[in-house]
Amino acid sequence: MHVCICAHTLLFVEESIQMSLDSLYATGSKCEVQVKNGSVYEGVFKTYSPKCDLVLDAAHRKPAESSLGPKREDILESILFKSSDFVMVQFKDMDTNYARRDAFTDSAIGVKVNGEHKEKDLEPWDGGETTTSEELEALETDVSNGWDPNDMFRYNEENYGIVSTYDSSLSSYTVPLERDNSEEFLKREARAAQLAEEIESSAQYKARVALENDDRTEEEKYTAVQRNASEREGHGVNTRESKYVPTGQRNRDVLSWGGGRQNSPRMGQSGSGPSISRSGSHTSDFSPNSGADQRVVNGGVPWPSPCPSPSSRPPSRYQSGPNSLPPRAATPTRPPSRPPSRPSRPPSHPSAHGSPAPVSTMPKRMSAEGPPRMSPKAQRHPRGHRVSTGRGTISSGLEFVSHNAPGEASTSAVARGSPSGGTWSSVVSGVPRLSPKTHRPRSPRQSNVGSTPAGPALSSPQAGTIPTESVAMPVPAASPTPASPASNRAVTPSSEAKDSRLQDQRQNSATGNKENAKPSEISPSLTKPENKGVSSVVSEHRKQIDDLKKFKNDFRLQPSSTPETVDQLLNKNREGEKSRDVIKEKTESNSKESIVETSSNANSNSGSSKSNSPSISPSTSSSSEQKRGPEVTSQGVQTSGPGSKQDKEDKEEKKDTSEQVRKSTLNPNAKEFNPRSFAQPKPSTTPTSPRPQAQPSPSMVGHQQPTPVYTQPVCFAPNMMYPVPVSPGVQPLYPIPMTPMPVNQAKTYRAVPNMPQQRQDQHHQSTMMHPASAAGPPIVATPPAYSTQYVTYSPQQFPNQPLVQHVPHYQSQHPHVYSPVIQGNTRMMAPPTHAQPGLVSSSATQYGAHEQTHAMYACPKIPYSKETGPSFYFAISTGSLAQQYAHPNATLHPHPPHPQPSATPTGQQQSQHAGSHPAPSPVQHHQHQAAQALHLANPQQQSAMYHAGLAPTPPSMTPGSNTQSPQNSFPTAQQTVFTIHPSHVQPAYTNPPHMAHVPQAHVQSGMVPSHPTAHAPMMLMTTQPPGGPQAAIAQSALQPIPVSTTTHFPYMTHPSGEECVRVRPRHFAVLLLGKTRPYLFCCSLNVTLT
Amino acid sequence: MAAPGEYFSVGSQVSCRTCQEQRLQGEVVAFDYPSKMLALKCPSSSGKPNHADILLVNLQYVSEVEIINDRTETPPPLASLNVSKLANKARTEKEEKMSQAYAISAGVSLEGQQLFQTIHKTIKDCKWQEKNIVVMEDVVIAPPYQVENCKGKEGSALSHVRKIVEKHFRDVESQKVMQGSQAQQTQKEAALSS
Repeated sequence: MHVCICAHTLLFVEESIQMSLDSLYATGSKCEVQVKNGSVYEGVFKTYSPKCDLVLDAAHRKPAESSLGPKREDILESILFKSSDFVMVQFKDMDTNYARRDAFTDSAIGVKVNGEHKEKDLEPWDGGETTTSEELEALETDVSNGWDPNDMFRYNEENYGIVSTYDSSLSSYTVPLERDNSEEFLKREARAAQLAEEIESSAQYKARVALENDDRTEEEKYTAVQRNASEREGHGVNTRESKYVPTGQRNRDVLSWGGGRQNSPRMGQSGSGPSISRSGSHTSDFSPNSGADQRVVNGGVPWPSPCPSPSSRPPSRYQSGPNSLPPRAATPTRPPSRPPSRPSRPPSHPSAHGSPAPVSTMPKRMSAEGPPRMSPKAQRHPRGHRVSTGRGTISSGLEFVSHNAPGEASTSAVARGSPSGGTWSSVVSGVPRLSPKTHRPRSPRQSNVGSTPAGPALSSPQAGTIPTESVAMPVPAASPTPASPASNRAVTPSSEAKDSRLQDQRQNSATGNKENAKPSEISPSLTKPENKGVSSVVSEHRKQIDDLKKFKNDFRLQPSSTPETVDQLLNKNREGEKSRDVIKEKTESNSKESIVETSSNANSNSGSSKSNSPSISPSTSSSSEQKRGPEVTSQGVQTSGPGSKQDKEDKEEKKDTSEQVRKSTLNPNAKEFNPRSFAQPKPSTTPTSPRPQAQPSPSMVGHQQPTPVYTQPVCFAPNMMYPVPVSPGVQPLYPIPMTPMPVNQAKTYRAVPNMPQQRQDQHHQSTMMHPASAAGPPIVATPPAYSTQYVTYSPQQFPNQPLVQHVPHYQSQHPHVYSPVIQGNTRMMAPPTHAQPGLVSSSATQYGAHEQTHAMYACPKIPYSKETGPSFYFAISTGSLAQQYAHPNATLHPHPPHPQPSATPTGQQQSQHAGSHPAPSPVQHHQHQAAQALHLANPQQQSAMYHAGLAPTPPSMTPGSNTQSPQNSFPTAQQTVFTIHPSHVQPAYTNPPHMAHVPQAHVQSGMVPSHPTAHAPMMLMTTQPPGGPQAAIAQSALQPIPVSTTTHFPYMTHPSGEECVRVRPRHFAVLLLGKTRPYLFCCSLNVTLT
Repeated sequence: MAAPGEYFSVGSQVSCRTCQEQRLQGEVVAFDYPSKMLALKCPSSSGKPNHADILLVNLQYVSEVEIINDRTETPPPLASLNVSKLANKARTEKEEKMSQAYAISAGVSLEGQQLFQTIHKTIKDCKWQEKNIVVMEDVVIAPPYQVENCKGKEGSALSHVRKIVEKHFRDVESQKVMQGSQAQQTQKEAALSS
């Protein structure tokens, strides 16, 4: 039921039907209330009650007839009308949209307009008898560009009597050329023709003309979808060409065009269609024999001839087409190519060729690659190139054509034939193909690439059979596999299927594709990160290769992985990345080496990809990885083999290959593309990494996955992850320093949550020590100052001495780091609920017991942090607390909590749950596996860790230190409540650093020491968890704590002594909440009671 | 007093007769069953487009409720309201009414009230001071509120107010003429028809 009362302004509108009259809100409009006895009261509608009693402000009884307004005495401040007393209320002249919130939205405006304006009735068009379908068709097919000038003149003369003064000779603008047969004239004419030809044959000229006459629309230029030739043809026919065509070219080009086309059979297929039509038009419009005069005329004529300039087009297509299209198409491919480094380059080449700039600016390159096309003579070279490329399957800009050709049996023949044709013909043939079918060229490559990884391995026996082709193959293969951006691969499979140049390769590719496809799907995210991760460190290829090999071996080991192994793997991965980078660099290493490297990279990638897959089934993944590793190696060897064979082959071929290699090296730009792939992969990767860890058994598998997948940035996260699963987090931490800070921050979030968990896992003091050590190094790496300060910080915290000094340092030095991290944490935490206290309460209710505990905890901290009051703080504290509590619960009911995490392997879950749950899940697992009891023992530490972890990613380090410090100083902290207090203090301190931005943070730090009792509640919280390990002890400890808490919070009705540890924390939280917000308090109480 | 159905669907046309024998008809805007309140939207009495008269009818005092045509479509979602805007409007409406009441209670003539309304349309800064209209704290218009009665410091403000006053009376005159002519026409027509 909608109840809505509108006054001048819309008095009331309530969206929810449920609200009905209850929510009816009326205000501000004059209304007249007619009462039972017939009298009318007028006033300003103020409000109404659920029972529909009305209140009018400034109301007066309206006399029967009076134009005069009420007198002051007549007006009552307000009148309440019982709903049973009035018959009717009238609001006059209400604008129902007055108070609409969306008054300025299109829909709101549209509502008004629609009421006022009546749409015109549509009338069927009647062309009358005069129009016939033919005429209409003529309009459709009219190629002419508007009126013919002569028609215009005639029309004006007939209808308006206006005689044009137009002189076709343009004598008033130019001097007619007087022809004579004198030698001089002929010489000059010949000279002019020569110059014209030179100019028109220059690459620059063509490039510019191409730019000007590129008849492709924006859509065509930038679209990812390439139209096939047939569509184009249609377009060409229908579209009216208005582009300027140099007069000289019009005739000549047309002729040459036609010849060229005839020569090249493919011309027709690809792009020739449009050109043909144009050429036809040309011929008709212009007399082939047009003399100089005609040229002048044509040129002078403002109206571009309907017929486009065929000549210009072909070149344009050729250049522009390849330029624009290939590069774009290439862009997606490039990213993949890069990772492989050298192999990647080939793909980039096409782009370079395609790009107009290279043509003009880089004559040398052109000569080598592109120019051949341009100049007829050069074409021959290209042919050779093409052929070779075709064999090689390495696709460069030129190669595209060749590639296509090779794919088709007659390609080579065609290419050769084209040269015989007019100069243009060759170009044309090449061009059209390129533009329309940019995909194809790539696809072949991709197919090769895709196939190569698997193919070579499979084909290894066949390698001998595959001579030259193999050479080309290796490169692409390497590129695809390592890079293996999802997009590329996705494309590749289809393309591969379509165009497989080499039959052998095809066969291989078929199998390879399948395999590739799998990795691509799984690994896309992972692979990308790797690309990014590549640190541009140039190391010796050999070393790299060796590293890679080792890496392979390690991969095998990984499944069994201990944390150390994981770290090693990570390092190796990094190395591999480096090597890739190196490879990318132009250093001209033998194709073999590059291949090997690439293959190794590919292997690593594949491993990573597989590692990702393991997330689903860790065990399976590990096995698959191992398998792959060997395969990869085999591939590399094989590839190298073919490369060597190639060398033996004809010099020409070698040259070609070498050229290709060079070209590949030439494309440094390719790297630029990586970022794109990066961005995409990151998100996916980050979530994935946590998942694998959580799902898979604590075994190394999880670690491995992250490492391969993530490049440096990612690596960070993985590293973070590592520590988590692995009890000795130290080693994993080390890798962290390696990774760049910025990236870390982003990913740290995830990692952070995990970290706390890990720490929780690290129940043993010894374990705690490890984290500290681990923390130290990473800290140094990222923020030097931070680390040092941090270290000092932790010890101080224990003594409760003023941390302020340290804190400020902390803030000043790493404010940025912290802030981002904090935000991130807040985000993570916040969305779920933790961010805001109010939210917390709600979330608590919603979430399971664990979550509730979180809320509770958050509350307790509130009192402390009230002044500071940063949302983060809450979030963080809640997270940590929640975890702690969760742990106790977990200990009590290890299985229930664990299952949840396992159930929610994805990052989403983490996000949803806020930091605590997601992160905990993995941790919990670990804990369970390691020792459930232990978890309880170090809850405090964990909490501290958690805080740190949550707040700043870099802080992840800090948490470790904190944990260490407390534990070190108070090894017995778990047992004794008092010891626990210090730990509490620490968290508080840790929080302050988070708070660093807020000056109050200092205050907090100061607060901690001053209010040990206040901490008590906190302690209780923490203590309880410790109780877990030793149930009896924990309980006893808890009891005292409640007392302290009670003192602080009179609200506490529930004796802390109540049975369950769980209950207590909750109660505390409730109490705390009660202080801050009674509302929350109630909620919390309910929760606790339940 | 008959209660038709349990529901009126929004958008349907409903007519009814009140206990004062007043005929009402309009489009259902809202209906609250517990309080038996029916909100109807009728064409604006002033004929303004985009405006409408809203009637809130207490069905307890209404008879002969008929649903002229029903609409089963689900009503469009209600728009959210800008509450502060409504509150502001309520306040200003109230203030205007009170200020006017003050003036009226002070014995201001009808012409004076009309003039005040006219001026107020263009210049919000005008108020009653006893029987005088004070515009922009600068110009004082004393009864009988003619152009000559506008006093104040010579300047643009005074001249501006004078123009307004002048135009006001001119319009009033023209309206009277119009009304008169219309009345005559109607009389003639009536005579003819009879």
